[in-house]
Amino acid sequence: MDAAVTSAPTPTPHPVPATGPDGRTAPADPPSGAGRPPRAAGRTPRPHRARRENLAGYLFMSPWIAGFLLLTAGPMVASLYFAFTDYNLFDAPQWIGLDNFTEMFGDPRWRTSVEITGWYVVIGTPLKLAAALGVALLLNQSRRGQGFYRAAFYAPSLIGASVSIAIVWRAIFSDGAAVDRAQQVFGMDAGGWIGDPDRIIYALVALTVWQFGAPMVIFLAGLKQVPRELYEAAQVDGASPWRRFWHITLPMISPVLFFNVLLETIHSFQIFGSAYIIGSQGNACGPADGTLVYTCYLYIQGFENSRMGLASAMAWMLLLAVGLVTAVLFWSQRRWVHYEEGAR
Amino acid sequence: MLKVAGGSLAALGLTAAGCGTGSGSGDGTVTIRYSWWGSEDRAKRINQSIALFEKKFPKIKIKTDFQPYADFWKKFNTQASGGNAPDVFQNAIGFLRKYDAKNVLLDLREQAGAGNLRLDGFRAGLEKFGEVDGKLLGVPVGSNSMALVVDQAVFTKAGVTPKPGWTWDEYHAALTKIQQTQGRAGDAGPYGIMYLYDLYLRQQGKAFFTTSGLGFTEADLTDWWTKAAARVKSGIYADPKKTIPAKPKSAVTAELAGCEFTWDNFAVRYTAEGKSRYGLAPIPTTDGRKTGQYLGSLMLSASKRTKHPKEAAQFIDFMVHDPEVGKIMGYDRGVPATDAQYQAYVPTDEVGKQIAAYEKQLVESRVLEPITPHPAGADVCEAAFMRLAEEMSLGERPVADAVKQYFTEAKTALSS
Repeated sequence: MDAAVTSAPTPTPHPVPATGPDGRTAPADPPSGAGRPPRAAGRTPRPHRARRENLAGYLFMSPWIAGFLLLTAGPMVASLYFAFTDYNLFDAPQWIGLDNFTEMFGDPRWRTSVEITGWYVVIGTPLKLAAALGVALLLNQSRRGQGFYRAAFYAPSLIGASVSIAIVWRAIFSDGAAVDRAQQVFGMDAGGWIGDPDRIIYALVALTVWQFGAPMVIFLAGLKQVPRELYEAAQVDGASPWRRFWHITLPMISPVLFFNVLLETIHSFQIFGSAYIIGSQGNACGPADGTLVYTCYLYIQGFENSRMGLASAMAWMLLLAVGLVTAVLFWSQRRWVHYEEGAR
Repeated sequence: MLKVAGGSLAALGLTAAGCGTGSGSGDGTVTIRYSWWGSEDRAKRINQSIALFEKKFPKIKIKTDFQPYADFWKKFNTQASGGNAPDVFQNAIGFLRKYDAKNVLLDLREQAGAGNLRLDGFRAGLEKFGEVDGKLLGVPVGSNSMALVVDQAVFTKAGVTPKPGWTWDEYHAALTKIQQTQGRAGDAGPYGIMYLYDLYLRQQGKAFFTTSGLGFTEADLTDWWTKAAARVKSGIYADPKKTIPAKPKSAVTAELAGCEFTWDNFAVRYTAEGKSRYGLAPIPTTDGRKTGQYLGSLMLSASKRTKHPKEAAQFIDFMVHDPEVGKIMGYDRGVPATDAQYQAYVPTDEVGKQIAAYEKQLVESRVLEPITPHPAGADVCEAAFMRLAEEMSLGERPVADAVKQYFTEAKTALSS
């Protein structure tokens, strides 16, 4: 997920196609079809040559196919099997049917982890996207030094997932550190956030919001595609900046917004590293399970308690949950995502 | 998510395929892998010891690897499950039964019989510590014991002098005095330390573990944690909201508390970490006499799957008996387990002298008792104990709830 975002910021699944002045686009498949000249007629290759080319194609792909089968598909199938077994890594897995799932649902700590992850996704994702969109709007004006600001705002999302930043974050939010002192300026003498199980999750939220650079770049690309003349027309009609944003910008970038919501939501569900490091102080993901996000608990069950069967079941539960949320988002998009005519 | 589980499976496949490599070569040179947990400082000392070993045994090469405690066991567990455990590794009492049940540990008795590993010359009967069901699964390298580490300046100013045989009431009175006069909590909070609760239970003829389960009742723990919760509230024990962010620094060196319970060989770290002078005080008692203490120890174990049991045993023997190694390691692994190493190293620093005196006093006053058994799953029980005690102390969980949850989790851990 990360790699896709950081290495190729611009491409989106439904990029806003280049539009002509009349607002119409070629009725093409979105990503690459738009500007490509049609294939020269009369050069239909002979079948056996096509087969040879196919073969060559598969040969070139084979390292990735092998990698996918061995390192992704195979382990996934295995973990699906383990989800229904009692497996401690040492002894052969014992088939126990749905016991792992029954145990999971009855486990108060599992419910805690679901709750914390839910809060993290529900609070962190919108805040991060709001920050990204806000800054993208500011950066969408032509001013000197825009390139610098863009790079500067983007930088945190490159380093934010690193261990060192998590350690820095822990220091910033500790007792008597920067955040604590800033609070005291406003008369809040509540102490740092790291030792408080109810507030430490907001340190994680702050960390993810701080990494708004990746969605910001995607928003910027979307904003640049909004035709100027729409704003000009609106201005002539006397629309306020707020109305212009609400009625032009937002609908026009809604496909990009959808893409960002989808990506960041899925990404949020997978939070692990920062929660594990910021929360670990003797107890993994503490204090008092304050940062026990779902993947942390999965890790603890699998690698500390050697219960790989239960951990596999948890992993599949997470996949189901993320799949469900994704499905709901896709279902909802017809109500709020506006693709330009013909682009869908 | 899936990547976590999937990745580990893939890693397992790879290690399974890759095991049994790199252990021998044409000229009879053997390489054995040795891993341990500890700090940079321990690594330096161990590497010096290994250099000596390789000089003496030119046909054996030692490949090393180390991590902090918790990471060590995660890595070890994964390696061992793939049949790729290191040939020799650091071990502790809480893991002997666990990994014996999983067929990971080599019974070193055979190598001892073959003369590759000497079992004589150990202090205080320590050679028995690595025995489980008649098998020799680990060889002690040093002994340690629970102690109360105190900030001496604070104790002196508060006018408190702990004496051997002092009671829990006297201990708590001392903490109150510190809290009232020294502007910091008396103790960092003993309620989450499994090994201390074990001593408290042993003073009453119980123990934390039996050979197969928990040796105390829900009522016992409710009593211990209810009192603790009240003392956190009144400030006799330090506020966990302050001590948690201070970690990895200890609450004593962070000047949040006057003392705390820990293993005596950890005392070395306090002097390096804090500004004050630190000393060791006796464990409080229930009846004025019995502390419940025993000597614990770090051990060296070998993997059952090692291709070079002889060389592994020779290396363990060297690390445990060689006087030069004793000088290099000092009290890093506890007070050396063998007479040869104990006599070779005479501490010159204040803390080292204190540790030596502390353990000498323990041995001579005959308070020591046999060690509590540690069933498989003891390590998970310890982690859960620490975590739930912390939740209780933070007020996140009522005591009754924490106790109930602890018994649920401990039962799961001890039965799997």
